[in-house]
Amino acid sequence: MAKSLKIRKVAEDVSLELNDLWLKFANITALSGVSLEINKPEIIAIIGPNGAGKTSIFNCINGFYRPIRGSVHFNGRDITRWPAHKIGALGISRTFQNIQLYTGLNTLDNLMAARHCHLKPSVLWGALYFGPERRKEIEHRGFVEGIIDLLELESVRKKVVGTLSYGWRKRVDLGRALAVEPKILLLDEPMAGMSANEKEDMARFIIDVYELWKIPIILVEHDMEVVMDIAERICVLDFGFKLAEGLPDEIKGDQKVIKAYLGEEQ
Amino acid sequence: MNISNQKVDIMPEETLPKLLKRNYEKYGDNQVAMREKDYGIWQPFTWKDSYEKIRVFSLGLMALGFKRGDKLCILGDTKPEWVWAELAAQAAGGTPIGVFTDCRPEEVKFYLENSDSVILIAGDQEQVDKGLRIKDELPLLKKIIYWEMKGMWNYSDPILASFEEILDLGKKFEETHKDFFEKSIEKGKADDIAIFSYTSGTTGNPKGVMLSHRQLISGIRRIRETEQFSDKDNYVCFLSPAWVTDQGLSITNSMLTGMTLNFPESPETVREDIREIGPSFLFFAPSLWENLMSMVQAKIPDSIFLDRFLFRVFSAVAYRAADSDIGRQKNRWLWKTLQFIGHFLMYRDLLDKLGLSKIKACYTGGAALSPDLLKFFMGIGVNLKQMYGSSECPIIAMHRGGDCYPETSGAVVKGMEVRLSKKGEILIRGGNLFSGYYKMESKAIVDEQGWFHTGDFGTIRDDGHIIVMDRMEDVRQTAGGHSFSPQYLEIRLRFSPYIRNALVMGEEDQTDIISVINVDFENVGRWAETHRIPYTTMSDLSQKPEVIELTRGEIQKVNMLLDEWNKIRKFVNLHKDFDPDEAELTRSRKLRRKFVETGYNELRKAMFENREAFTTESEILYQDGRQGKITTDIKINAVE
Repeated sequence: MAKSLKIRKVAEDVSLELNDLWLKFANITALSGVSLEINKPEIIAIIGPNGAGKTSIFNCINGFYRPIRGSVHFNGRDITRWPAHKIGALGISRTFQNIQLYTGLNTLDNLMAARHCHLKPSVLWGALYFGPERRKEIEHRGFVEGIIDLLELESVRKKVVGTLSYGWRKRVDLGRALAVEPKILLLDEPMAGMSANEKEDMARFIIDVYELWKIPIILVEHDMEVVMDIAERICVLDFGFKLAEGLPDEIKGDQKVIKAYLGEEQ
Repeated sequence: MNISNQKVDIMPEETLPKLLKRNYEKYGDNQVAMREKDYGIWQPFTWKDSYEKIRVFSLGLMALGFKRGDKLCILGDTKPEWVWAELAAQAAGGTPIGVFTDCRPEEVKFYLENSDSVILIAGDQEQVDKGLRIKDELPLLKKIIYWEMKGMWNYSDPILASFEEILDLGKKFEETHKDFFEKSIEKGKADDIAIFSYTSGTTGNPKGVMLSHRQLISGIRRIRETEQFSDKDNYVCFLSPAWVTDQGLSITNSMLTGMTLNFPESPETVREDIREIGPSFLFFAPSLWENLMSMVQAKIPDSIFLDRFLFRVFSAVAYRAADSDIGRQKNRWLWKTLQFIGHFLMYRDLLDKLGLSKIKACYTGGAALSPDLLKFFMGIGVNLKQMYGSSECPIIAMHRGGDCYPETSGAVVKGMEVRLSKKGEILIRGGNLFSGYYKMESKAIVDEQGWFHTGDFGTIRDDGHIIVMDRMEDVRQTAGGHSFSPQYLEIRLRFSPYIRNALVMGEEDQTDIISVINVDFENVGRWAETHRIPYTTMSDLSQKPEVIELTRGEIQKVNMLLDEWNKIRKFVNLHKDFDPDEAELTRSRKLRRKFVETGYNELRKAMFENREAFTTESEILYQDGRQGKITTDIKINAVE
């Protein structure tokens, strides 16, 4: 009863600031002075045509790429040059466009592995599975079960991830990102390649997570219908430039955005 | 109005809440009443836990103003809360009505309106949304109570309350109303209406069948005369108690015998959960047995040579052994010996995989089951029995002891009389026959002598076994003057792993019998993959020449067993499945024949006119209420 309340957590104040980010690969400029500020729980979508630099932003935030200029601040701290694993430990969690899971492990183990940043194991007790280690393991399993319940993963709990369909793997990938207990969640095309039903489920899960945890969620997505439905704020990129930012209705009517997406009449 | 003129010999004033109280006093904290798999673990509730929940929830309902004679609807997945809500309502002197979770909002509205329900207990967000959509059209509805918190965090409609909130309300109410619950149970009478069970509506709007505690309890008593249910037994609840047979076998049975009810984690995990519990009794609808068989047949080709070989040999043995049990096969000792060997080489493992290794008895009912399927399961050692009943009388006949003939539904239960009308309709009288329809005259179907007209076409054998063939209105004639039962052919077609559903039709001015087939997307898909046939959707797969050839072969297999005039001559593979959301099937997955026949009238004409193909443009209704259009070419095929 009162299920999935187990994973309820207290909302914290979180702020993420991207200041004037520049990113270059040889002669190609991936990001040209992009700034974005998030300081309250909301669902923000980053949209734009292919190669606009959407995923590059994510990679700059979580330390995969180093911007040549500009900075990323998380809760006031400059994390621009931090290594990825330290940024992850801060509570910035993401999913990937091309799913990153341990394909040889089952769903449950994938989610448990994602909780390693919360485990501070002692080799001896861990090996014996005794005392505090055992208690900790049970506690973490409880949390992971809460996520399984939230994302309705029960039927694949013990299935090896490599044998699951694409839609299921996407869902497990989201579960992996949630298992970290993120303070901020970055979702890279969570609905790419999914059927209409799967998209609907995914949209519902994203909203559920948002309502349950009240954390900022940044979403890179191509499906306009979904973006317009669930995002509260939209940021549009084109060739590394920020084209527009605003409420879904404003973006819908923005001439520059329409031009970038549909082209110009000759 | 009470139309059952024969009271059954049970304890005078037994009700389900009284039995619950008895179990609570008998077992307390020492025995598990139910288990629910949650967070990956089977969480137990003892009789004391269960009783406390029901007591406090019932008081909560009373605090909301729920009084004797009031009704409430329960619309949710099969979970312990379902059972608690039902018993709490009954303990308060009211009547619960189970509604199937896949009903659309208009259907839910029909049930609430027709039954004058004042409370809707909706399991989760999905069901709550249905309730919120229709609440303004239901002046009687006072509260919508939900038990699954997920997704409900931001709902603020004052009509909503969580299960927990009602429990708190109950606790407060108790402070000023001591012993209210116990007194309320005491006031209950065996002839109080325990539940409304709605007819499935194969022939029109569902009717609310009123069943008393006495009728429910005596029905299960009849089964207990031959089955040894005890408080050590386990039952897995995964069908909806909105279905009266499951209601009886799970809730009533548990109250009567103290057996443990087990609730699976989610509808998708049922198969694994059954395996973990290893239940001693199970009730499957025929479609579930068919699914199980299809799954076995589809997975065998993927296994190693030795397994395939053993399966071939010992399934043949299983059929023969089952035949020899009912005296239709000579050399009984030979087949029984082979069956014994088969047990160790194959059946034991198969049963374990299916979660049936501890089974004492399994039941099926609600619709006819293919005799071959029944024989297979009997042969591998499942004590599978058919039951025959209807919403109006949950148990009319059943197989008892070793008296299991695959094509019959068993002999009539004690306390009931049965006979055939001139037209071959099955009539029943007495026993646990229902108390009437809610807000409706029952005269039309109960004649002056008290015979209830079941609407089923069948025969009664000399040994008293009933054979149910079809619904009266479904029996068809061909131009040759032969009467035939479409259902008889359909269940034989469905025995094929590649055929999920079938509609068989015939006309008085046509000699040919035709069939509309729903191929089994999963199994045929797998078959296509192994034969390197690329496909995309159901409509694409179903029209592949190879798949048509496959279906043709399956129909020929059925035709071989039939008389010349009864053979299926033409068929189409439909581009989609029959769907309860489009009212083609009832919620318990029975074909709504009249509706489907009219719906596919054009296709039927095309088939009789010997055309080669038929183009259909069908409107489809998605579960979320959206509509769409699909154009498909369907090939019409002949069978030798």
